[in-house]
Amino acid sequence: MSNKIGVFVCHCGINIASSVDVKKLTEYAKTIDGVVVSKDYKYMCSDVGANIIKDSIKKHKLDGVVVACCSPRMHEHTFRGVVEAGGVNAFNLEIANIREQCSWAHDNKERSTKKAKALVRGAVAKAKLLEPLETSKINVTPEALVIGGGISGIQAALDLAEEGHKVYLVERNPSIGGRMAQLDKTFPTLDCSSCILTPKMMEVANHPNVELLTYSEVVGVEGSIGNYTVKIKKKARYVDMDKCTGCGDCIAACRLKDRIPSEFDEGMGKRSAIYMPFPQAIPLKCTVDAENCLMLTRGKCGTEPLCVEACEASAIDFKQKDEEIEVNVGAIVVATGYDLLDPASLYEYGYAQSDDVITSLQMERLISSSGPTVGEILRPSNGEKPKSITYILCVGSRDETQCTWCCRIGCMSALKHVYLLKEKLGDDVEINVCYTDIRSFGKGYEEFYRKIRGMKTNFFRGRPSEVRNVGDHLTIDIFDTTTNKLFEINTDLVVLVPALVPRVDAADFARLLRISQSPDGFLLEAHPKLRPIDTFTGGIFITGCCQGPKDIQDSVAQASGAAARAANILSKKELEAEPLISCVDEDLCSGCSTCISVCAYNAIELVKEDDKSHAKVNEALCMGCGACVASCPSGAMQQRGYKDKQLSPMIEESL
Amino acid sequence: MKKYALYPGCVMPTEQYALEMSIREVLPLFDIELVDIKGFSCCGEPLKSVNQMLTLTLSARNLAIAEKEGLDVLTPCPICHLALSECKRILDTDPAMNERVNKFLQDEGLKYTGQANIVQTVDLLHNVIGIDKIKEKVKKPLKDLKVATHYGCHLFRPSEIGRPVDSENPQEMENILKAIGAKPIDYPEKIDCCGGLLTANLPESALTKTGQKLQKVQEKGFDVFIDVCPWCHRQYDAKQTKAGETVAAKLEVPVLYLSQLLGLSFGISKDKLGLDLNLSPVDKLNLGDK
Repeated sequence: MSNKIGVFVCHCGINIASSVDVKKLTEYAKTIDGVVVSKDYKYMCSDVGANIIKDSIKKHKLDGVVVACCSPRMHEHTFRGVVEAGGVNAFNLEIANIREQCSWAHDNKERSTKKAKALVRGAVAKAKLLEPLETSKINVTPEALVIGGGISGIQAALDLAEEGHKVYLVERNPSIGGRMAQLDKTFPTLDCSSCILTPKMMEVANHPNVELLTYSEVVGVEGSIGNYTVKIKKKARYVDMDKCTGCGDCIAACRLKDRIPSEFDEGMGKRSAIYMPFPQAIPLKCTVDAENCLMLTRGKCGTEPLCVEACEASAIDFKQKDEEIEVNVGAIVVATGYDLLDPASLYEYGYAQSDDVITSLQMERLISSSGPTVGEILRPSNGEKPKSITYILCVGSRDETQCTWCCRIGCMSALKHVYLLKEKLGDDVEINVCYTDIRSFGKGYEEFYRKIRGMKTNFFRGRPSEVRNVGDHLTIDIFDTTTNKLFEINTDLVVLVPALVPRVDAADFARLLRISQSPDGFLLEAHPKLRPIDTFTGGIFITGCCQGPKDIQDSVAQASGAAARAANILSKKELEAEPLISCVDEDLCSGCSTCISVCAYNAIELVKEDDKSHAKVNEALCMGCGACVASCPSGAMQQRGYKDKQLSPMIEESL
Repeated sequence: MKKYALYPGCVMPTEQYALEMSIREVLPLFDIELVDIKGFSCCGEPLKSVNQMLTLTLSARNLAIAEKEGLDVLTPCPICHLALSECKRILDTDPAMNERVNKFLQDEGLKYTGQANIVQTVDLLHNVIGIDKIKEKVKKPLKDLKVATHYGCHLFRPSEIGRPVDSENPQEMENILKAIGAKPIDYPEKIDCCGGLLTANLPESALTKTGQKLQKVQEKGFDVFIDVCPWCHRQYDAKQTKAGETVAAKLEVPVLYLSQLLGLSFGISKDKLGLDLNLSPVDKLNLGDK
């Protein structure tokens, strides 16, 4: 119980002061029962503001503090530090949010001042009833989990391993490498993508601190910052990893050879049922595709599976089963990447109607010398060289009916293709680029764009209304907004540059990790400017395109950032635990177990004392989400800092 | 028995009689009663570029009249359908505009409340009556008749306000035609404009749009061209010969309303469906003769 409360009102520049009369509010606060001092300042979170609070605590011997300012999400932590330094327990602080929940939301000064008064009144009522709390310590497991083995995940894993932490790198596909492995060259320097990626893949695979878990998926996450327990499913490859030499004899022998569309080649090439996604795959081992393999789908493959016959190492084992392992880590880096919008959903671009309409990633596989056509550019419909190629940018991007955002790589990847195609097909090949705005924002990008502009290329500023399949070629109607003219383009091959979208299972994955998504579906950072890598869940960090579209250079930079943020936690022996957690009034508890069923963190157990059962909270596991409190039928479960007896008077006073 | 107020619009009752005749023959087969109501006026769409408030008020007035009778509205003309639908969307979501428009309606003792639903023929056939019911009524399957469909822009645009069919890849007419045994085939020009709305200002361009589309349809060997909009029909049917001249082609494409072709497959006689009013060479079809 506190009976000497100080109220400190922040102007937040004009953010609060423009629609709340802060002087009146400060004067009003003095009249509230229990308030012994009330002051206002332009920026209460500044050094000067902090000193006002600290001095007042000393002068008036305060035992409780109310700060009327921005959201507690923003500065509660700051002010806890201030009152602690002033000599009051950090948890005897209450924030009255008069910015987000008052001044920003209203413009009638008189009425918003009235509301601010009510908020402060409620906060004072609660502050009088707050109890001092102590923080406890929790130990940290100094190991890390990286989810996703693309360039971002590889970079994060390498940085953490170099820091001396053991890293589990989990990749869903049979090989690490991700999207970057599918690319031929990278913009704007035209570095060969595999040539710069493969050494990184080798390095991470061979690093003594990295345990590579390919063809594996995270299926369960429990615990909290510093101590996560992660369940990982290792999918059966039906190939003994120790025996397989990666010779590829089985691939050549498979009865379904060249029959199954290759995911790695984006369907432009075909593979066998036993396969390696690409020649530089790591690990260089074969995998049986259980969805297509005749042995695994029908239980029979001719008289005997030809792959088994061809394998000299006897590595193929159709009896293998999925395996589940559990690892303990202190921090998790999420680098799960992106999907491409399926252009078939945009009927007007003709993707579903013509084989000669492909995506930029499919074109990437055609350009690649290790791709299905060994680097030859051929029209899928007839295998001939195209004389005219048309790029359509922003397919589904920057489109209010599809994806409102910019894909950030489309313009540059198309410009890169122009260069590579001219190189392969000669200067005479006609290339048209239909663009919305060319966004060449990065270092060296604008220079690259200028170079392409100097090559024989037609740029049309506008979005085609439709791609029409007229037999032996395609026609496109486009209104060019720089000349205000309608053009009809006749072309042999259309390349769509589709929007980057969140992974199709992003929502399930976010739920599994208990992290949030932004409205667009990408994983949400804790603050767009100041905490762009953190999530709201302590110890979980996001990097690469799972957070939003970005190019390779940004993904790599963000990965190193995520590794550094994770290392911040892993390098500490122990962390301070959040004291705002649940506690049980054992006399009231009937042992009904409702709270146990709603707890997402397995933090509550039922214990028997004498002949009576009651719930017990494991303080190390409780995250303070409050679900148990809300579900408790008897009111026995209470959350520290938010107890019923503290909240009820607050509500009463506010109303 | 489901009752609809038939909202005739302007073009159907003054010029495109065959559309009305065929609808009045076909829909009652499905227990649909079309009710004629006194007092309907222009939908307002032609005035939109001049006076939006007047357009809204006219549309709302028509809807209010139907509401008074407690009926949903069937508008065979896609342009009227667009005007009424847009009015409904605005008045249902914008209380201030609702109030303003209702003030005008007060003089006549009318009030728009948003009770009446607005359907178009394709919408009614495909979504309310349903493909299965249509199949049941077929007496004379139009076996392998190669059909090109034309929806007309107002039936599917603008998609934001909610139109009866998809704006990029409409398939409702195709589904209906398949149900009567015909063979609708998608063609690249399917959702191209008929040009009709350019007639007042750029009559040459209007006919060129019509001619270009019909020429493609003829080249591709379609047996018949099916539409639903009286404005589009006027272009393709009545003005076919003139349209052909703009693209230097002799066009001989039979053009029928969807409701006319349905009627034929349901065994309704040609004269009841107003086939003699069609100006395109519909005799080429050899359908409907007993």
